[in-house]
Amino acid sequence: MGLLSIIRKIKRKEKEMRILMVGLDNSGKTTIVMKINGEDTSVISPTLGFNIKTITYQKYTLNIWDVGGQRTIRSYWRNYFEQTDGLVWVVDSSDLRRLDDCKMELDNLLKEERLSGASLLILANKQDIKGALTPTEIAKVLNLEAMDKTRHWKIVGCSAYTGEGLLEGFDWLVQDIASRIYVLD
Amino acid sequence: MEDGNGGQNLPTKTLDSDLDPNLQKKHQSMLDRLSARHQTRLDSSLTRLDSSLTRRSDLSNSSESTSSFLSRFSDSKRSIESQLAESRQIASSDPARLKSHLDDISSSISELEKLVAENSYFLPSYEVRSSLKTISDLRQNVESLTAELVPKKKFTFKNKATAKKEPPKELEIEKSNSVSTKTSNNFVIRDSPGFRNKANEIFEKKFRGSDIGEFTLSDLDSCEVRLSGCFDALFINRLKNCRIYSGPVTGSVLIEDVEDCIFVLASHQIRIHLAKRSDFYLRVRSRPIIEDSNGVRFAPYCLEYQGIEDELEAAGLGEETGNWANVDDFKWLRAVQSPNWCLLLENERVEKVYVANLETGNEGS
Ligand SMILES: Nc1nc2c(ncn2[C@@H]2O[C@H](COP(=O)(O)OP(=O)(O)OP(=O)(O)O)[C@@H](O)[C@H]2O)c(=O)[nH]1
Ligand SMILES: [Mg+2]
Repeated sequence: MGLLSIIRKIKRKEKEMRILMVGLDNSGKTTIVMKINGEDTSVISPTLGFNIKTITYQKYTLNIWDVGGQRTIRSYWRNYFEQTDGLVWVVDSSDLRRLDDCKMELDNLLKEERLSGASLLILANKQDIKGALTPTEIAKVLNLEAMDKTRHWKIVGCSAYTGEGLLEGFDWLVQDIASRIYVLD
Repeated sequence: MEDGNGGQNLPTKTLDSDLDPNLQKKHQSMLDRLSARHQTRLDSSLTRLDSSLTRRSDLSNSSESTSSFLSRFSDSKRSIESQLAESRQIASSDPARLKSHLDDISSSISELEKLVAENSYFLPSYEVRSSLKTISDLRQNVESLTAELVPKKKFTFKNKATAKKEPPKELEIEKSNSVSTKTSNNFVIRDSPGFRNKANEIFEKKFRGSDIGEFTLSDLDSCEVRLSGCFDALFINRLKNCRIYSGPVTGSVLIEDVEDCIFVLASHQIRIHLAKRSDFYLRVRSRPIIEDSNGVRFAPYCLEYQGIEDELEAAGLGEETGNWANVDDFKWLRAVQSPNWCLLLENERVEKVYVANLETGNEGS
């Protein structure tokens, strides 16, 4: 392989972003990824393990890792932390009973050193359901204001059913990662 | 910067000289970051490499780590394939050993999957995808071998869970009690509709028009609950000796901590956690899952009330997918049948459940 082609190859890989989607089981991670990718969302089984989707978004290639959130497999999340540029934490805004669980798992995740440089997008999903908490309420429950000041984060309300909020969230995430890494773009 | 033309958009000296000093500074800092980023990527791939590999700091290292991964991957793949090939022979010569042999294969496949996950951050996406494809093919092989070689046993549980029929004190209609929940940091969450903290009662609820949303059943003992009409999501928590009949749920049903219950449910997704000795009659579009459960049995949906066919149809649940039998046990990720659940034989199932009273209920709360 000539030097130029090596450089070119790495250059192309630099346009890639690695995005990790996590959150409690049933929060809607897989549905969100399929919706962004324009796929049918009517038959989705709980994720046993993980899925990877490669999506072209603006001029970037997003490698999205959608990891299952059932309790038994949460301990495997750490296998996916390495080199994560963006972290998406998905919340089921209608699951009031498990908000404490949700906060605890998020707090644990944010202690993880390998994720310390990652931009954090919190998606308050299922806003279409009557009785769902608003993003502001979710932010209070998760105590996001107390987050480490060096972290870039944003919370956005969304619905994987209607698609509302998804682009706003991912636009922010991609821009934030890009501005940290590709300053001139 | 122009884009999309291979190496064309590499920053060059001439480009720099056109820029004002400020931009030039910014540009330089981007280049620094880019190269720092390559370096961290290379460094961390390096540290993860087998120690047998010589450390060199030139660019070819990232492709060497890929090839080291690929050779480990194909070694394990070959060994799994030969184990698979042995299965048939073991089945005839030493059938007692077959089950543990198949279990071993399944765990080797899980190990292999873990290897991919751990190395995925430096692998080219093509390699990741093709490795994952290989893994799912291997899983498929184990499954079909198991289906072929392991005699299908009918799993049943002796003590059949029957909800004892207490004489209902009264028929409570639409008396869903709302509560406000408090989280650990003392933020009070708004009310959510549901039936809670009751014993020996019958409840009915009819979902209509703007009334839909999520609904909760929690802390019920020896109760019967009849829900009709489409709604978005159902949360079920801490139930004992109850019978729960529900019309279509367009999102998911989340069940946690139930024992000696019968559920008749239709939903896009059904997730069951911490269930004991309970029967589930399901119509479901995806694969139902159980976790930390045992003694749970499955059968097809069997609820009848006037208008239910139309409601199921409208909710995308008109069709029997057969998924009620395709249960995944997250505590038993192996190819052999989980000991925690089984199918209900036809003669053990309840008759079709007719809930006539539903039509007389008041609507809207
Ligand atoms: N109403 C509503 N339901 C949603 C929305 N997003 C997801 N759901 C439903 O929520 C359930 C769970 O969705 P999944 O995408 O499987 O959740 P997940 O986070 O991938 O779950 P795991 O794979 O177990 O971690 C499904 O029944 C979805 O149809 C939404 O925006 N609105
Ligand atoms: Mg999923």
